[in-house]
Amino acid sequence: MNLIDQFQQAALAAAATVQRVPRDASAIAQAVSAAAVIDGVTAPRIAVAASQDLPADLLDAVRAFPNAVTDRTKTALARTDVGVTEAFAGVATTGSVCVSVDHEYAGPISLLVRQHIAILPADRIIQRPSDLLNPQVLGGVGLTRSFVFITGPSATADMGDLVRGVHGPHHLHIILLV
Amino acid sequence: MTPPAIAPPEDSPRSFADKSNKSAILTAIRFALRVESSAVRHNMQTFNRGRYTATAALPDYEALKDRARAIKENAIENLPALLQTLAESVHRNGGHFHLAADAVDAAGYVRDVCRAAAVRLVVKGKSMTSEEIGLNHVLEASGIEVAETDLAEFILQIADEQPSHIVGPAIHYSRQRITALFKRRFDTDLALDSGQELTAFARTRLREKFLSAGAGITGANLIAADSATLMLVESEGNIRMSSTVPPLHIAIAGAEKIVPTRQDFACFIELLAASSTGQPLTSYTSLITPPLRGAPVVADGPVTDRQFHLVIVDNGRTKMRDDPVLREALYCIRCAACLNSCANFQTVGGHAFGGETYSGGIGGSWEAGTRGLPQARFNELCTGCSRCINQCPVRIDIPWLNENLRHRLSQREAKLPARLRDALTGAPKEDRGVSLQKLFFGRYDHFGKWGARLAWLANPLGRLAPTRAILERAVGLDRRRSMPPFAAPTLVRSAKNLAPAPSTASTAKAVLFADIFTNFGSPARGLAAVKILRALGVDVIVSDCLPDGRAALSQGLIATATRQAQRTAEYLCKYLDEGREIVVVEPSVLAMFHLDYRRLLTSAKGAQQFDRLRAGTFDAGQFIASLLRRLRLDPAKIFPADRSPVGRRVFYHSHCQQKTVGCGSAGYDLLRAAGFDVATSQVECCGMAGSFGYKKEFYELSMAVGEDLFAQVRQADGDIPRALVVSGTSCAEQLHAGLGRPVLHLMQLLTDIVQPPT
Repeated sequence: MNLIDQFQQAALAAAATVQRVPRDASAIAQAVSAAAVIDGVTAPRIAVAASQDLPADLLDAVRAFPNAVTDRTKTALARTDVGVTEAFAGVATTGSVCVSVDHEYAGPISLLVRQHIAILPADRIIQRPSDLLNPQVLGGVGLTRSFVFITGPSATADMGDLVRGVHGPHHLHIILLV
Repeated sequence: MTPPAIAPPEDSPRSFADKSNKSAILTAIRFALRVESSAVRHNMQTFNRGRYTATAALPDYEALKDRARAIKENAIENLPALLQTLAESVHRNGGHFHLAADAVDAAGYVRDVCRAAAVRLVVKGKSMTSEEIGLNHVLEASGIEVAETDLAEFILQIADEQPSHIVGPAIHYSRQRITALFKRRFDTDLALDSGQELTAFARTRLREKFLSAGAGITGANLIAADSATLMLVESEGNIRMSSTVPPLHIAIAGAEKIVPTRQDFACFIELLAASSTGQPLTSYTSLITPPLRGAPVVADGPVTDRQFHLVIVDNGRTKMRDDPVLREALYCIRCAACLNSCANFQTVGGHAFGGETYSGGIGGSWEAGTRGLPQARFNELCTGCSRCINQCPVRIDIPWLNENLRHRLSQREAKLPARLRDALTGAPKEDRGVSLQKLFFGRYDHFGKWGARLAWLANPLGRLAPTRAILERAVGLDRRRSMPPFAAPTLVRSAKNLAPAPSTASTAKAVLFADIFTNFGSPARGLAAVKILRALGVDVIVSDCLPDGRAALSQGLIATATRQAQRTAEYLCKYLDEGREIVVVEPSVLAMFHLDYRRLLTSAKGAQQFDRLRAGTFDAGQFIASLLRRLRLDPAKIFPADRSPVGRRVFYHSHCQQKTVGCGSAGYDLLRAAGFDVATSQVECCGMAGSFGYKKEFYELSMAVGEDLFAQVRQADGDIPRALVVSGTSCAEQLHAGLGRPVLHLMQLLTDIVQPPT
């Protein structure tokens, strides 16, 4: 199985959703708009994190959504439904996406919202989590950044059953740029 | 008519968190069996199954364990230098570093940092180290509100209880009990009758706290000295919240969490997740180097000055490092695989099998190291069944640590009469003063010898109620248990009457080791094995009976066990010199040769003997199975199941230590190949675990552990009971006690049906 298929299978097993989208601003905007549905309500409030690796204009159309939230205060972010961030790496065996937490507001935007949408270029998928700590892999980016391996939505088994959606997002949607 | 009794309020687990008093252990076991056992069982067995699945999916699991072990050994060896490097890294990043000598120092530092920053509310991620230093009480005493945000810790904070597990602190709470607790504690009309609802309820309450907290406190799973990067593992998102949302982040971790470089995290990322919750990865594994550059979320516009403090806690760890036994515990990465794979722990959890903070097999060493030896008394609940050994991602021999704690506790508490008694009977100086109970079980070699000589007297006496009552009082042998009767004649004596082994054209040369349990208690098994081997053309003889050290070791009589091991190794190596392979009937004795002798035979010569014995000793069932394969004999012809006097339908239970040394399935496979309809058990241990279940204070626990096994037998029975077949002495007693049915040893079943090859 190739890395992309393996990634997709593992991400689904971790209760994330995955969608393959061409690397194109309008296609991405369309995909985000279609995926961003909270409790059956379309066009929820969306915050988009500043770009770090991808060209900024790739997400400009999403930033221009009428319901986009630009205010970064805690009150504004806590009321935001959907957070869109880049993922600078994906992990094939675990279906994880790696998101910077020290770049602008990518941390809170991927955490405080009900749904997190991660934009992952398919050529950034690596085999195993540990590969990211290899200086030869992806230019050694995993050795310098503060980031989080995100594997599915937040979850707990502390309340008697397995529950998805605890302090972090209830849903993780991954847009794979192919 | 007496009025109906009013149920007394449930004892609080807090009241028996401190296990320095032996009665606290017994109270805790009773409480756990009554109140917590069903939730603990469910949660632990779920974790346990998950770990087996997840670790099996790691293609390089064993290599990862070796690597993890090597990194930890190296890190602890170089700890002083790593602390220096780490302090420099934190400063270079713009953070603050504090090395706290003890709990008071650590908690006081955190309190002062919070005060200086005028913090009124802190949000806290799960941190066993903060439990260890009693942080919440110190902060609350200074008027700082502490919100535990891990949902399990949230439950415990409401209930005012100590953790019952180092990864899932509230595994002793069922959903129903959580609902009842929340309804009691919060004024709410919500039903709160599902995990979903309870979680949503807690999320709402805690969300407010995250957004208004002045500081976030977390632990750390690992810390890289070169960069001061923290590895934080969780699933709920509360640690991400606590470490990234408030402007001030304080991380507290024991000094043992430091590894040299961020690259060293690589082998732990998957290994920890798989070993602990049984997932490929948990929802969030953060690698962060605080203070973060991205701005914290604040009420009124962005600010950029985040603050970070790293508090490294010693609190006894330097002393542990200097102690050759407790040093092993410093390698622990707190995955809890040893808790989850432990049959006792699965039944009572960490309120009984644990102390103030740490629990399970590894917990005794941590309580001893951070709080003091008497607090480690709950280590008695480690039966030495060995199931945790292969589960530990850093290869800690946890039973060995507990045997040592037991030894030290005995030494500390030895009373003068016991010391005198032992001096007069010639016990090794290091083992003097142990309780009569430990002496009784630990020196079965003595009791067995005299019992067998006086079997005509001892056996009828042993069946009498008054004798049982006396034994129960004197040595704590529970009167509801029956010890296997002493055998007359012993295996060694019976073997003398056997015809000499056929010496010509033998298929293999072997010696059957006459261990003390088989020799004095169950010689028929040994004779059965000899008969089978001879039928297969093996030139087999029976050894002398020597104590191998198992009984002594299990009671913490380490010096005695060492002497016995040295003698037995010396003796058995002579057979290896003669070219004989050594066949062992009792799995707990085989495990001595395969595992424990590594610790007991430490000289260069001893190490060599250990290697030879490990390669040259075999489980009887495994030996027979491999012989059949080598001789290309069909098991169905040699052991035709249709000749079985107990029928073809059997239930086979393999011994815990047999599984650990890699021959757990040999008996099962052999029976199946022979044409039996075999069902088998899926439990870690039967609950008897050698002498454990015979002890008066542990009888109820032992039987409760056995319930899973008994249930599996009943389920496999269907309408017609299956014949019970085992490979170990104590498992037979346990199955007999639980099901009231005869239990056969594998060798006895096979010897009845063996057909010599034509």
